[in-house]
Amino acid sequence: MKLLPKKEHQYIGTKMNFIELNLMENARRGDSHALNELFSQHQKYIFNLMLQLTGDAARADDLTEETFIMAFRKLHSFRCQVSFRIWLSRIAINLFRLECRRKPKHYSLCLEKIMVPSHEDNPERVVIKSELQWCILHNLQQHLPNKYREVLVLRDLHHLSYKEISEILEWNVSKTKTRLHRARQMFRQQFINNKCKAFADDYLCICEGILEL
Amino acid sequence: MHLRGDIRIMNCKEAKALFSEFYDRELNQEICDAVKGHLAGCQECREEYKNFRKGLKILKKLRMLEAPRNYMEINQRH
Repeated sequence: MKLLPKKEHQYIGTKMNFIELNLMENARRGDSHALNELFSQHQKYIFNLMLQLTGDAARADDLTEETFIMAFRKLHSFRCQVSFRIWLSRIAINLFRLECRRKPKHYSLCLEKIMVPSHEDNPERVVIKSELQWCILHNLQQHLPNKYREVLVLRDLHHLSYKEISEILEWNVSKTKTRLHRARQMFRQQFINNKCKAFADDYLCICEGILEL
Repeated sequence: MHLRGDIRIMNCKEAKALFSEFYDRELNQEICDAVKGHLAGCQECREEYKNFRKGLKILKKLRMLEAPRNYMEINQRH
């Protein structure tokens, strides 16, 4: 791997760490190993982020692919003022928003219309476990507007800081706090309204933790 | 919010609006103590905060999946 170039002044104020900066510089020079290393460590994150926002594995796969193609094309114009992950997240979320504007929203059958089996009727915990996974994604996708879903997913599923979320969504920290609070309340309310709570309640122990299935 | 001695006193509305930041430990010590103080003395808010935390714990059950393929191969074609 080649060393960092002499033109270090272009990185003043950068939020990237030294290893990432080196990889970036080498990737820009056409080093495919550096490019591979730089991108591959974020593939799982971007795919899951898109899956949680869309609730659809095929759409998540397409959006992840588009994100990496666009990042590859824009690599030379990235000014390193935010971390590489933040920059990729911005690209991915902008692509997601663009797709939402282009395609009409698809409504799937809501759980309110489905009989939730009681624990006795359905002793196969593995079924309930997958139902709970579906339930969470369904609630995120169908019952939370994008502006709340984005902030909730970034904070509660990917554990980004308020500042990082503000950088990705290009909001100030105060707006991030307000939207996150509203998103959490809305998610919980929808979860109860849609009877998803029936799935979760069986696994809530008295100390409020959720038992391992 | 008002002061009683050196301690800030919070009402239910003010405390509930701060649940999210309280959960994330994003409040400064003074405000954090005021929320704790309110929760200690208000059963309704204590119950509501318990439910608020439960709602967030459900999200922890969502599994992270592996990416279905290596997206770098696409870039090498472009």
